[in-house]
Amino acid sequence: MSDAVRSGEASVASDGGPMIECRGVEKWFGKFAALRGIDLEVGLREVVVIVGPSGSGKSTFIRCINRLEQHDRGRIVVDGIEVTDDIRHIQEIRREVGMVFQSFNLFPHLTVLENVTLGPRQVRRLPKQPAEEAAMAMLERVRIPEQAHKYPGQLSGGQQQRAAIARALAMEPKVMLFDEPTSALDPEMIKEVLDVMRGLARSGMTMIVVSHEIGFAKEVADRVAMFDEGKLVEEATPERFFNDPQHERTKLFLSQIL
Amino acid sequence: MADRVEATRVEQLEPSGPPVREIGVRRWLRENLFNSWYNAALTLVFGAVLAWAIYASLRFVFVTGRWEVVRRNLTLLLVERFPRDQLWRPWAAMFILAITIALFLGASAAARRGDPTRQRPPLTPVEVARRMWPLAFLAAALLLLSRGLLPVVLVVALSAATLGARLAGERLPPWLRRLRYLLLALGGVAAVEVLILFGGEGWERWGGLMLLLFLAVGAIVLSFPLGVVLALGRRSRLPAFRLVCTVYIELIRGVPLITLLFMGAFMLGFFFPPGFPRPSPVVRALVALTLFTAAYVAEVVRGGLQSIPHAQIEAAQAIGLSPPKVTRLVVLPQALRAVIPALVGQFISLWKDVALVSIIGLSEVLNIAQRITQQTDFRAQGLQAEVLAFAGLVYWVGAYWMSRESQRLEKRLGVGER
Repeated sequence: MSDAVRSGEASVASDGGPMIECRGVEKWFGKFAALRGIDLEVGLREVVVIVGPSGSGKSTFIRCINRLEQHDRGRIVVDGIEVTDDIRHIQEIRREVGMVFQSFNLFPHLTVLENVTLGPRQVRRLPKQPAEEAAMAMLERVRIPEQAHKYPGQLSGGQQQRAAIARALAMEPKVMLFDEPTSALDPEMIKEVLDVMRGLARSGMTMIVVSHEIGFAKEVADRVAMFDEGKLVEEATPERFFNDPQHERTKLFLSQIL
Repeated sequence: MADRVEATRVEQLEPSGPPVREIGVRRWLRENLFNSWYNAALTLVFGAVLAWAIYASLRFVFVTGRWEVVRRNLTLLLVERFPRDQLWRPWAAMFILAITIALFLGASAAARRGDPTRQRPPLTPVEVARRMWPLAFLAAALLLLSRGLLPVVLVVALSAATLGARLAGERLPPWLRRLRYLLLALGGVAAVEVLILFGGEGWERWGGLMLLLFLAVGAIVLSFPLGVVLALGRRSRLPAFRLVCTVYIELIRGVPLITLLFMGAFMLGFFFPPGFPRPSPVVRALVALTLFTAAYVAEVVRGGLQSIPHAQIEAAQAIGLSPPKVTRLVVLPQALRAVIPALVGQFISLWKDVALVSIIGLSEVLNIAQRITQQTDFRAQGLQAEVLAFAGLVYWVGAYWMSRESQRLEKRLGVGER
C-alpha cells in the first residue's frame, strides 16, 4: 500500500484497539484479483464511507468482514476476533456485525415484524414477547411501525430498506455494514433511508458504508476511502477528500460523479 | 407567438368512478360464442357434442346402468374382507379421524385469530360446500347405492360431529391448542388402531377403499420428509451424503413403479436376517410406494431449493443464523411453497398409482371392481362399464379434491408475495 495517500487520523476504540482492523487483505476470484492488499482500520463510533468505480472491490471488501466472502490472504480482526474458517468465530462476528444489502434481501415469506425478530429469537434466543417489543422499538426508530404486520412485497423500496436496517439493528450489532443501500431506490426514497442512517451515525454506531451519496459522505463520514482495482488508493477526511484530493484516480473519479 | 408562456391551471375534473360494465346474457353470448362465423360454428359443434355427452352419461347413470353389481358388493369395495360383524370399527375410525382433523382445524383457526397477519375470512357454509363438494358427492353416491337407513344416519351423525368438533376446536384451552399437532398425530394412530386392536383386523388383511386410503396417506406422509431430506442431501456439501442421495434418486427414478412393487414383494425378504419376521405384502407395498414417491418429491423440492436466490441465504447468514437454521427457517419454507403445485401433482400420481398394488396380490378398489364381474350372479353380463365407472369415481374424487386444495393452499400462501 505504498501508493496510498493517507491523511487524517483513524480514531481508536476506547479499549485501545480499533473496532475493525484489516491488514493486507487479498481476495481472488480465480485468476482475477478482486482485492490486492487492503489495509484499513475503523475505530469505535467511526463512520467510513467507501467510494470507487464498480468492480473496484468495495462490496467484496465489506463482504469479507462478515465472511460472506472468504479472503485469501491477510488478516481481518473484528472487535478482537479474527475472521477465520472457524464457524464459531464467524457466528460470533456475524452476531456483532449487521449488514444492509443493496437489494434489501428481506425474507418474503415472513412479515416485517417476523423478519426483524428472526435473528433475536433464533440467534440470541430471546422469548417471543421481548423480541417483538424490541423489534417494534426498532421499527419506530426507522419510522415504519405501521408496516409491522405487512409482508415485504407490500412495502415500497424505501420502506423495505428501512425494515432491513431494523432487522440488522435488532441483533444489537456493534458495527453496521452498508452495501450500496440506496442504489436500488427511487430518488424520493433515498432520503428516507439516508435520514435513518444519519440518525444511526449520530447515535454513535460504527459504520462502513459503500455508497456514492456524496452529500451523505460529506455530512456524516469521519473518513472517506477510495477503492480502485482492488486497492485502497486514498483515504482522507471528507473535506480533504472532496476539496483537495491527492491521487489522480480520485480526481478523475470525483470529476465524473460530482 | 407569445413571449412567455403563462402557467395555466389545468381544470380539475372529478373522476366519474370506474367504468361500469354491465353485460346481459345475450350480449355475453354474442361477444363470446357467436362473434364470428367460425366461432359460431365451433360453438354449435361443441355444444352438440357436449349436450350429447351429458345426455349419454345421465342415461347411463340413471337408466341403462345396471348398478346391482356395485350395490350388492358395496361393502366389499369399501373394506373387502373386513369381518362383517366388525364394521363398527371402520365407522369408529372415520369418526375419530373426522373429529381430530376438525378439532385441529378449529384450533388452528383460533391460533390465527390473535395474529393480525394471518387473518382469513370466516368460514361460511358456501365456502365449506365449495371445498367439500367432491367428498359430499362421493358420500351421496355411496349412500344412494347402499339404500340403507343406518348409513344415512351415521353419515349425518359424522357430519354433525365434524361440525361440532370444528367449533369446539376454536374453544380449546390455549395449552391444549398448542398440542394440536400431537392431537392430530394421535388421531391418525387411534384411527388405525381401532381397526386392529382387540379382535380387529391387522392391515395385512385390509382391502378396498380402506386399503387405498391407508397406502396413499401412509406413503404421502412418509415420502414427503424423506424426499425433503434427499433433496437437501443432493445439494449437501458432504460428498458421501450427496453421492448416496444422488444415486438413490437416479436409481429409483429410472425404474418403473411396477418393478419396485415386485421387488418389494419378492426381494425385500433377502435383506432381512433369517428368522426375522417377514413384512406383510401391505407393508411391502407401502415401502415401495414411499421409496418411489420420495425420489420424485426430492427432485421437485430440489427445483424449489434452486429457485431461492443466493442473496436470501446471505441475508440469513448475515444476521447470524446457523447453517441448519438458514435452511429450515429461510430456504425450505420458500422453496416448498414455490413447488406446491408440482408436489401435489406428485401425490395425485401416487394416489392413482396405488391401483397397481393389485399386481402383488392386494385388493384395492379397482381390483375388487374387476373381480366382482366374475361372481356367479354377474358373470358374462358385460358389467365392466358399471364397475369401472364406480372405481373411476372413487379415484377421481380423491385426485380432484387434492388438486383443488392445492390451488387453495397456493393462493393462501401466496399472500404478500408480489
